[in-house]
Amino acid sequence: MWAIAIGALVVGLVAGGIIAVVAVNRATERAETARRMVLRSEQAVVDASDRVELLRHALDALPQGVVITDERGAVVLRNAAAASFLGVPHADALVGDAVAELLAAALKGRTEQRLLDLYGPPRRSIEVLAAPYPLGGERNGAVVEVDDVTEKVRLEAVRTDFIANISHELKTPVGALALLAETLSDEPDPELVQRLAEKMVAEAHRVNRIIEDLLELSRIEAGEHPVRQPVAVGLIVAEAVDRIRHVGDARGISIHVEEPSRRLVVMGDRRQLVSAVANLLDNACKYSDPGAAVEVDAHTDGQWVELEVADHGIGIPSRDLNRVFERFYRVDRARSRETGGTGLGLAIVRHVVSNHGGSVSVSSEEGVGSTFTLRLPAGPGPVAVTTREAG
Amino acid sequence: MDEIRRTFHHELEDVHGELVTLSARVVENIPRGTEALLAGDLEAAERIILADEEMNERAFGLEERCYRLIALQQPMASDLRALMATVRIISEVERSADLVVNICKASRRIYGVELDPRVRGLVSRMSDQAQSEFRFATDAYAQRDAPLAAAIGDMDDLLDKSHQELIQAIFEAHKAGNCPLEVAVQMALVARFYERIGDHAVNIGERIRYMVLGEFGQDNESQQRRASFASPTGDQTS
Repeated sequence: MWAIAIGALVVGLVAGGIIAVVAVNRATERAETARRMVLRSEQAVVDASDRVELLRHALDALPQGVVITDERGAVVLRNAAAASFLGVPHADALVGDAVAELLAAALKGRTEQRLLDLYGPPRRSIEVLAAPYPLGGERNGAVVEVDDVTEKVRLEAVRTDFIANISHELKTPVGALALLAETLSDEPDPELVQRLAEKMVAEAHRVNRIIEDLLELSRIEAGEHPVRQPVAVGLIVAEAVDRIRHVGDARGISIHVEEPSRRLVVMGDRRQLVSAVANLLDNACKYSDPGAAVEVDAHTDGQWVELEVADHGIGIPSRDLNRVFERFYRVDRARSRETGGTGLGLAIVRHVVSNHGGSVSVSSEEGVGSTFTLRLPAGPGPVAVTTREAG
Repeated sequence: MDEIRRTFHHELEDVHGELVTLSARVVENIPRGTEALLAGDLEAAERIILADEEMNERAFGLEERCYRLIALQQPMASDLRALMATVRIISEVERSADLVVNICKASRRIYGVELDPRVRGLVSRMSDQAQSEFRFATDAYAQRDAPLAAAIGDMDDLLDKSHQELIQAIFEAHKAGNCPLEVAVQMALVARFYERIGDHAVNIGERIRYMVLGEFGQDNESQQRRASFASPTGDQTS
């Protein structure tokens, strides 16, 4: 009896031990599984955090400003560009105002876009686009993109105006020629015939000048690498003054050339440079009051030579200053027709200096006058040029 | 308690940002109005005139927020100075916006008249100078930059000089038969509007210095200007 009882106890203990071992093993396994799950979760959090960082770095690398908000409009992410888009407090405030307004619209589920034309200076065109993004159910957040489209807007204006201007410039004289010829064919009065013929000649010359300037411009554009040789600035100026003197004389305008303290030299194509300076002088004479003076001055800092052509004429309105170097751009169409310009002179100047690795700028005040400055790379040193080359 | 102060300072920042925006609008509208005037662009002028209603509403709303904050939060020291300065600056900004509107209204009255180039040039110059002053004032307020604010007074001397030159040029153009009397009168008023905008920018500069440093400028000009705060500004509306 005792033996049976002891036997049963032993069996019980063994079975209990086995059960306990199994239970411990299971618990250990569960703990291990739980530990692995925790590790996986931690890894997932780290991965997600890395991805957020990655996303943030990628957004920070964009030149466009990006702002993302949650459904309540609280900012979740703002990239570096959006933090201070223009870097100027008052301009950033205006962009920020538009962003806030469009965000409010996007949170209501609308996609909206606005173009801000900021007068600056410098003048900038900023595009703000806001759109909703789904957060599940009826809820949505909002994302805004802020982009500087100044160059795009400028090029679009240049393109539209160019087409309008070129058709005007070419069609006007051709139309006039056709009308004059038509009138002439039925006109018996010899005096009137003479007058009409003179007008036809003037219009034909006008078309000819436009075509010549267009050809000149295309030649300069084609020659992206012009001849580079040392040319004395004095020679360029003297030749350009010679070419334009008759325009000045006709209006009683004197051209004063300030002799530089030392001989200045630039590297370039003499013919093109003379053409550029002559165009500036031609403009200065045409837009000066009769009897006024046009001044030419040149100086250097050793690296660059700056050549200035200043007039005391009517000046250029500030809104046109950035556009006067465009082809066929006219500040005052009526007046430019009186002066007989082709609308290509300053475009030629810009192309010439650009081909020479230089730049041209203008400062002007209406009623005071304008100063055009050519900035060209200085040549290697003084050159002994005493006679003008043929050309 | 800390939470209440945090909310209050958040509100203060919000008010600050809103005033920077309103002031920035004036900075933008000065050249916009000038371009409308000189180009005879009545549509552009009309847009600025119509937008002034919103400007007024926002300015009054902002002023009311300031009064509510003063009443409910009873701010002290620099917070109180900031709010008091802001209330004063709001009226300077709102008044300047009105002056730009007056310039736009003048463009209707001189419509179709070709202005003398010298007069046009000086109007552009005054506009640029007035805008620069207002831009400095706006940026100084945005950044709470007292030295920048102090520089505005010096800039205003240039604007005053241009004002005198413009008046002289208007007289000369009228005498030479290039400017009818009614246009001359309008242009003289326009010159005055730019000059007043400059004065408002200087006043804003004074308020910024008070807000940041807790004191007004000690120079004679500042003292004279402070005395003039109490008197009517002499702005003209049309």
